[in-house]
Amino acid sequence: MQPASGQAFVGRGFKYGMVWPAVLVILLIGLFPIVYTAIVSFQNIDMFGEDTSFQGGVHYARLMGDARFWQSVLHTMIFLVVALPLELVLGLLLALLFLDRLPGKQIFVALLILPVVTSPIIAGSTWRLLFDNRYGPINQILSWLTGEPATVLWTVNPVYVYPAILLAEVWQWTPFMFLLLLAGLSNVDQSLNEAAELDGAGFWKTFWYVTLPIIKPVILIACLIRALDLFRLFDVVWALTRGGPGTMTETVSIYAYVLAFKQFETSYAAALAVVIIVLLSLVVMAALRRVEFAR
Amino acid sequence: MNCRTILATAVSATAILASLPALAQSAAERAVEAAKQYAGTEITIVWEAGLQALDPLNFSGPKWKELTGIDVKVIEVPTAEMFTKILQEHRAGTGAYDALNVIPSWMADLARAGALEPLDPYVDKYGYRDELQTIAPVYRDNQMLVGDTIYGFPDDGDVFVFYYRTDVLGDPEIQAAFKEAKGYDLPVPPTDWQQFYDVSCFITEHTGGKPYGAGLFRDPPYAQQMFQERFRVAGGKFFDPETMQATVNSEAGVGVFQSMLEENKCMPPGVETWGFVENLAAFLQGDTAMTISWPPYGRWAAGYGLDQEAFSWVPKSQIAGKVGYALTPGGHPQLASGFSLAVSSDSNNKEAAYLFIQWLNSEEVSIDRVQLPYALRDPFRDSHFTSEEYKSRWPEAPQYLEALQAGAVSGILDLSLLQTDRYEEALRQGISRLWAGEDPQAILDDVAAQWDAITERVGVDAQREAYLDWSSKPNAYPN
Repeated sequence: MQPASGQAFVGRGFKYGMVWPAVLVILLIGLFPIVYTAIVSFQNIDMFGEDTSFQGGVHYARLMGDARFWQSVLHTMIFLVVALPLELVLGLLLALLFLDRLPGKQIFVALLILPVVTSPIIAGSTWRLLFDNRYGPINQILSWLTGEPATVLWTVNPVYVYPAILLAEVWQWTPFMFLLLLAGLSNVDQSLNEAAELDGAGFWKTFWYVTLPIIKPVILIACLIRALDLFRLFDVVWALTRGGPGTMTETVSIYAYVLAFKQFETSYAAALAVVIIVLLSLVVMAALRRVEFAR
Repeated sequence: MNCRTILATAVSATAILASLPALAQSAAERAVEAAKQYAGTEITIVWEAGLQALDPLNFSGPKWKELTGIDVKVIEVPTAEMFTKILQEHRAGTGAYDALNVIPSWMADLARAGALEPLDPYVDKYGYRDELQTIAPVYRDNQMLVGDTIYGFPDDGDVFVFYYRTDVLGDPEIQAAFKEAKGYDLPVPPTDWQQFYDVSCFITEHTGGKPYGAGLFRDPPYAQQMFQERFRVAGGKFFDPETMQATVNSEAGVGVFQSMLEENKCMPPGVETWGFVENLAAFLQGDTAMTISWPPYGRWAAGYGLDQEAFSWVPKSQIAGKVGYALTPGGHPQLASGFSLAVSSDSNNKEAAYLFIQWLNSEEVSIDRVQLPYALRDPFRDSHFTSEEYKSRWPEAPQYLEALQAGAVSGILDLSLLQTDRYEEALRQGISRLWAGEDPQAILDDVAAQWDAITERVGVDAQREAYLDWSSKPNAYPN
């Protein structure tokens, strides 16, 4: 028996009534800051003056011609394209290693994920101490190995600043890749691998043609999460170099921070944030389509 | 004399007699008496995080509570974030802070933003004007006013001091070898930067780096303050006052950059990363024979108060009794940073906040505060420099106080403009590029271009007015 239309309406209304508070909260928390940031980006707000007048797209036009902004995008991309593959490959190798039963596996896994649970600013500060010329063990070890005093200025010399930051970054986030990929690999049906082996496929062929396609969605999601994180890279760089020497390692996030909280250019920083939000949203949408496709 | 006259005279005499106890009171006592009406309330004060904050946490806060019944809540903020936090709270209008510690070079920005309460009415109301006059002139005349209005009480005699090892520079064998090598007597201490360079490199070479001739701040946030000093000592001016074009890339600026690079070659490897702690550790452990820093180095080098728990991180001094104190080469040390006490314009308890800072800053209380070994407040009143109690703190304390007093006469101010930190940030970046091996002239041309862009952004006329106000102060440039 079909319910009467009035009852259906009451039922639907009740459902919407139950849902709307949650939707409202999500909109307030998630959408409002973005909308407000967008509004601010068209105004003329800084921390020193009272002027909040509408400025149109002035800040966006200025941003397009801001060499420091584009340099910060470039630096961010360098970190992204170097760190992401490194973390992926190292994470995958570790996951393959820990896929089999190993003595003390649980202890090793627990130790491996310690960097992930460390606050990035703490990790960065720790690496700064490790790299310190006077007190740090890294130069000390290099001195032992080379037999002469090693004075590598990791956070000053342009040759070493990128390797130093990347080392800290890869150290901290490879375990994250490892965990996701280990979970993905653990869910691969072993009968498929066994069938491939029976057909005469070796380890690498089995891995390439059987395992990898199965865990591809997991890899894409892991890469997407890490790529977004790397695009927001701040803490480790700030702790190690503060974006220096000069602005040589300044990322987009650091530049946004400097604009908003050091130079107090609130509206200009908001314009930068909006551009980044739009760019990242496009990347995320494209990546999610790829994940769907991979399924 | 009629009855009315007698009566009037009697009333006047009674009034004068009644007010005598108040007039006899010190500024500190007046503040305490007036503050008692706020007993049971709480005031918040922003203080630099770390050792500095131990003053209100361990000493002045509890004492104020005991005297007035007012609680003092200390909000510790790292120096680099203090300006931002104060400005943000003001913009948000939270009233979260009652009293403030502000670096004097920020006062122009904070006052113009309306974040600071003008103090003149309170100063007159609580009779503090006379005691303000006994603050050493360099601080009183430069770090108290914005325009003609009092916005802060200078409360910290921060000045760069030149420290040298008397046993090394005074070593007859080193002195003889130096004279033979350089053709003139080893200057103890060096009085210009060429002498400093000669002595530093000679000691490093002669002793094989045990100790090195010198170690200096080279981490950009510190080094930019040293650059500001040396640039002006070398005759440099920051701006053309007519056009407000930056002139930091002048011959003087490039010369200082080149000298700094050359000096590094005679200093310990890795000196480019040295900040406050690295430089301190090297000097206290006897690894360097000369250095420049704020006044606390001198107290700690003498071992003053180092047995306290707060100093567990400071290396034990290996050089107590072997340290001399002097003006920095060139004779015009930077009055680097410093602190003034101020009241937040958003405070809901301005009167109590003011009374607290008057009490802190007073002759009576400040003499105790500048002798707290852990609190980093340095002598800033005439009476501090001549205090017999302070002079008795360690054998060389009289010479130490003499050096500080000399610095308080010839010291030169931090640059203070509208949005000063943006100019300093460009300089900090320039110094990090200098250590990275870039060309000094190219770096400073770039810094000058950035300064011009900032000036344009802030507004040339407004910035000129701020610069002229700053540069008209007696200690903006060497006299």
